[in-house]
Amino acid sequence: MGKKVFLVDCRICNGCYSCQIGCKDEHVGNDWTPIAKPQPEIGQFWFKLHEKVRGTVPKVKVAYRPGLCMHCDNPTCKEVCTAGAIYKRDDGLVIIDPEKCTGCRRCVEACPYEDVIYFNEDLNIAQKCTGCAHLIDGGWKETRCSDNCPTLCIRIVDEDSEEAKEFIKDAEFYKPEIADKMKPRVYYKGLPKKFIAGTLFDPVEDEVIIGAECKLTGEGKTYSVTSNHFGDFWFENLPDGKYKLEIKAGNKSKVIDNIDATELDVNLGDIPL
Amino acid sequence: MSTESKIKPIPGTAPPPVGADKTVVKAINLSGGIFGACPAYVDVKDGKVVRIRPLHYDSKYDYESFNPWEMERNGVKLRPLSKSLPPPWGLAYKKRAYSPNRIPYPLKRVDWDPNGERNPQNRGKSKFVRISWDEATDIIASEIKRIHKQYGPLAILVQCDGHSESKLIHAPHGCSTLLLKQMGGFTQQVRNPDSWEGWYWGAKHVWGKGFIGNMAPAENLVKDITENTELLIVQGGDLETTPWGFRGQFASRLMFFWQEAGIEQVYICPDLNYSAAIHANKWIPILPNTDAALQLAIIYMWVTEGTYDKEYVATHTVGMDKIEAYVLGKVDGVPKTPKWASEKTGIPSYTIKALARHWAKKRTTVGHYFGGGYIRGPYSTEPARLEVILLGMQGLGKPRVHHAQIAYLGMPKNITWDQLNYDIASTDTAGGFQEYSGTFETLKAKDPELYERIFTPHRSTPQAWGKQLIPKTLIEAAIKAGTDKSIEFWGTGGHEEEPIDQVIKYTYPCKKGDLRFTGSDKKDLAHDDTDIEKIYEKIDYDGVPIRMVWTDTPCRQTCWGDGFDIGMTIRSPQIEFVLAQHPWLENDCLYADIILPTNTTLEVDDVMPCVRDGEHFQTMINMRQAIPPIGESKSDFEAVVEIAKKLGLEKEVTIGRTVQEYVEGVYKGMNFDKIVPWEEFKEKDYMVIPVSKNWKKLPAGLYEFYKDPEKNPLPTPTGKLEFCSTNLEKYFPNDEERPPYPQWIEKGITHDERLSSPRARTYPLLIITNHPRWRVHAQADDIPWTKEAMTGKIRGFDGYLYEPCWINPKDAAARGIKTGDIVKVFNERGIVLCGALVMERIMPGVVSVDHGARTDIIIPGKLDRGGAINLISPGGLTSRHAGGQATTSFLVEVQKVTMEEYEKWKTEYPEAWNREYDRASGLKATAWVVRGDE
Repeated sequence: MGKKVFLVDCRICNGCYSCQIGCKDEHVGNDWTPIAKPQPEIGQFWFKLHEKVRGTVPKVKVAYRPGLCMHCDNPTCKEVCTAGAIYKRDDGLVIIDPEKCTGCRRCVEACPYEDVIYFNEDLNIAQKCTGCAHLIDGGWKETRCSDNCPTLCIRIVDEDSEEAKEFIKDAEFYKPEIADKMKPRVYYKGLPKKFIAGTLFDPVEDEVIIGAECKLTGEGKTYSVTSNHFGDFWFENLPDGKYKLEIKAGNKSKVIDNIDATELDVNLGDIPL
Repeated sequence: MSTESKIKPIPGTAPPPVGADKTVVKAINLSGGIFGACPAYVDVKDGKVVRIRPLHYDSKYDYESFNPWEMERNGVKLRPLSKSLPPPWGLAYKKRAYSPNRIPYPLKRVDWDPNGERNPQNRGKSKFVRISWDEATDIIASEIKRIHKQYGPLAILVQCDGHSESKLIHAPHGCSTLLLKQMGGFTQQVRNPDSWEGWYWGAKHVWGKGFIGNMAPAENLVKDITENTELLIVQGGDLETTPWGFRGQFASRLMFFWQEAGIEQVYICPDLNYSAAIHANKWIPILPNTDAALQLAIIYMWVTEGTYDKEYVATHTVGMDKIEAYVLGKVDGVPKTPKWASEKTGIPSYTIKALARHWAKKRTTVGHYFGGGYIRGPYSTEPARLEVILLGMQGLGKPRVHHAQIAYLGMPKNITWDQLNYDIASTDTAGGFQEYSGTFETLKAKDPELYERIFTPHRSTPQAWGKQLIPKTLIEAAIKAGTDKSIEFWGTGGHEEEPIDQVIKYTYPCKKGDLRFTGSDKKDLAHDDTDIEKIYEKIDYDGVPIRMVWTDTPCRQTCWGDGFDIGMTIRSPQIEFVLAQHPWLENDCLYADIILPTNTTLEVDDVMPCVRDGEHFQTMINMRQAIPPIGESKSDFEAVVEIAKKLGLEKEVTIGRTVQEYVEGVYKGMNFDKIVPWEEFKEKDYMVIPVSKNWKKLPAGLYEFYKDPEKNPLPTPTGKLEFCSTNLEKYFPNDEERPPYPQWIEKGITHDERLSSPRARTYPLLIITNHPRWRVHAQADDIPWTKEAMTGKIRGFDGYLYEPCWINPKDAAARGIKTGDIVKVFNERGIVLCGALVMERIMPGVVSVDHGARTDIIIPGKLDRGGAINLISPGGLTSRHAGGQATTSFLVEVQKVTMEEYEKWKTEYPEAWNREYDRASGLKATAWVVRGDE
């Protein structure tokens, strides 16, 4: 059995929640002991779709991040479990044995990723994504979340497959700062960064300004775009930080300094030139 | 924007049914009617659903045997996946079957006594008691007999149309007509085009009948857009919402593919809808229902800058001179400049100019998927007609110049198109279904008796065929007319009517000598009034006022206009008996006198051709029963059979055949056994209809008309695109709300819903009421797991799940509103409580509440807690002579509910406020049942 990896491409997630719902359809009211006992009907998300609205009207985008247990190769949950209930399978999936779990909740606190391990009060056990190990063992090549996904933005494949190698080449980790320590088995593409955007117009002529040179500097880098047929300029996939924008259109120019994209995406609005 | 190519087919994995002892296939789309979509595997163990998952087409066949289509642009390819793509609520549909809101057994309103006091004034207020099927059907049969005897058969109004689960045999809508047509007929509620009214009541007068008003032919649009379109303008519709209930999520893949292939997508809508949120290169927020102003300004730009196809306009259209004079201000002294439009639309004038120029320069398609604020509001005929004129000015029918209901029509044809049709006795496919595959025509020719049995229930959704007719938008007006007055209307609103139908005056009650359509087999007629006598004849009977309502479509209050009034009107003593049959105790059911519990697709044996456009492949599926019926429920068909038994008409309704005989008869009657033998189909439960080898040959859209308008005229009086309509000019020359050519209508006798209205001083926000993301209209509001999406429901401080009201941070701040607050959305028509969702996905000055939430009426006629926003939408028609609804883009105010107000309602209406409630799924049926009778 090859080791599994999850490949998640946020750029083609349409936000339909079929992943999150599929997880519930599989686990709410169904008992898959020894892999998992039932998930509570609502409020817990072994698979959680994270949704964020970016920007301000009219420069707005929605970012979705399908989130699940990272099935780390160095799982802290397993380390802190004194009951020996958490184990890693040969295929890389990390499982909380529902029959061995004593309900001490140490793993819930130890997991460095949010919304992964939940505590089921009724059953007095910790629960999380099992990678649908009961289905894999039953002959599935997918998980419910990936089988439900209409755009194939979530894939579970063998780590030595061509598809995995191709994807992992330029993939990233969620919370990259702890990836070396945790060794997660979930690879992402298209995790949202920041954008800075705006529209250029000539208030006298009442026209958008097309083809203006826009130069953005910040975080040790410079980016250049020209304004498009709507007078729009977009700088996307920027690292968090502060930026300076220089705009040049014919003999007109403008400098906007101290653009703060550390926390939020920035719509500079309609800029008269 | 690049997505590389993840959008490629992946070899099937055909997952086995782990943990199940039975697996069946079901169409789990919710558009209903006679065709399904979204085939899914339902795994069952011990009579309970384990899971619902996509059907892998290659589970039992070789993928390549389907002759999969392929499309390509700029080196990026799209092929069908080997699985179906059901929507989220389809995948969670077991929660719908097991909902605590299911009707457990037949119910009778406590204070309705057919032999005594009927208390119609308590409909929607009094609770129900349990009765047996035997008792219920006795009462129903005797009421039908009494009403027939006392008033005549047409005194029974049947409401049996619209969307639902997809079941062919156990049709959720219309089985009542199988019985009533044996008994002298009935009055039909005629479903209006309830998601594309502008095109139906407007665009038809420009390009002729089209397909239910949309552009037709619409073949191969997907291929042509893929290959030729540079700019796709999506106006109003949401490709990530509306297709879900109809065809599943293929449109999502398609939009990602087009994005990846470099087709620019511009979205013009007040909200950053779910499609704009992930596919838009540019979002242009526009104030609701002001699209006509934007369109007029674009025409102004093209006229003044000379950037339209004058040669095409000269040879393919009539009436450009009138349009030109109008936009230049020669008619009303107001040039329709970008500046003028900017004030109406809220779009900067420089952006309007940039859009007009970009459109003129690029190979542009206008895309939709019904719905949205653009096409369902007051006077929606105007933007719909202007859209056709804009396309006409750029050469409609040229490659890439289309109006496209994206992937709803225009997908590759399957082999029934070129290999099955040879066997059809009558080649006529007049009516709306020619777009699909003609398979019903085959059945009609081979087994007319079965065809009648199967097709009859489904007829009322597309056709006006009852002996007496009332448009769905005029039911309340008809009831209010009482027993001594009548109402009149122009056009039935039936989907398949010819445009000329809209100049015919109908009455209710109908009168001897009124015209009725008879010419469904005479296609290509009725372009102008010289054809009327060929396809219409005079009726030789008088109608009567209605006295009884039989509904299997109990969602009017949350899906049609002025819903509070709908609830109040059905309390009329003239309506002596209201019978509802439905699986869930919701909406209009609560206003019934007798309720029969019907069941879901999971509980019956059925069969379904999934042959509509918009999925990877088309299929035929054997929908075997997954689980036993819940409670005492029967299917909608079985319920009618129970009533028929009491009337001695069982055989007439069932044609003496069993369900299994229907299944086999339909399969063979539609010639599917020529593709996969019956025995093999029965064993495999599904078959995939291979794609035609000739699919690429069909010309795209109106290409033939574009090439030679004389040889291939449009079905209009002049054969051309009528920028100014011959028929409207003749019949309604002075109609200021739908003039002979489209104009800007600020207000009129029917509607006053703009920011310029004095009403806007009190109700300063415009609201849009989109087709819901997490429901299909009124369906599936009780699934707990969709409510957990960020835009699903908002849990108030009181634990109640409120329907979200999107509001911009600016408007929210001005009102002290934050996300999670309970807010009241209101106007003079009433108050609807919602949960605030403060977001940048809605432009300032506009709020958005998806329509179709279950009503939870606290004060009848005044206050609702369920978030059913149509309760306060306008009740008027699209306009005086256009019988659509106008349920979006109207004036409201939004305020945070104060604690004083909250406590007051809670104290004054304790029973309504404290109805039994399930924390996960919401309202419960038992809230309305008087206990102790069990």
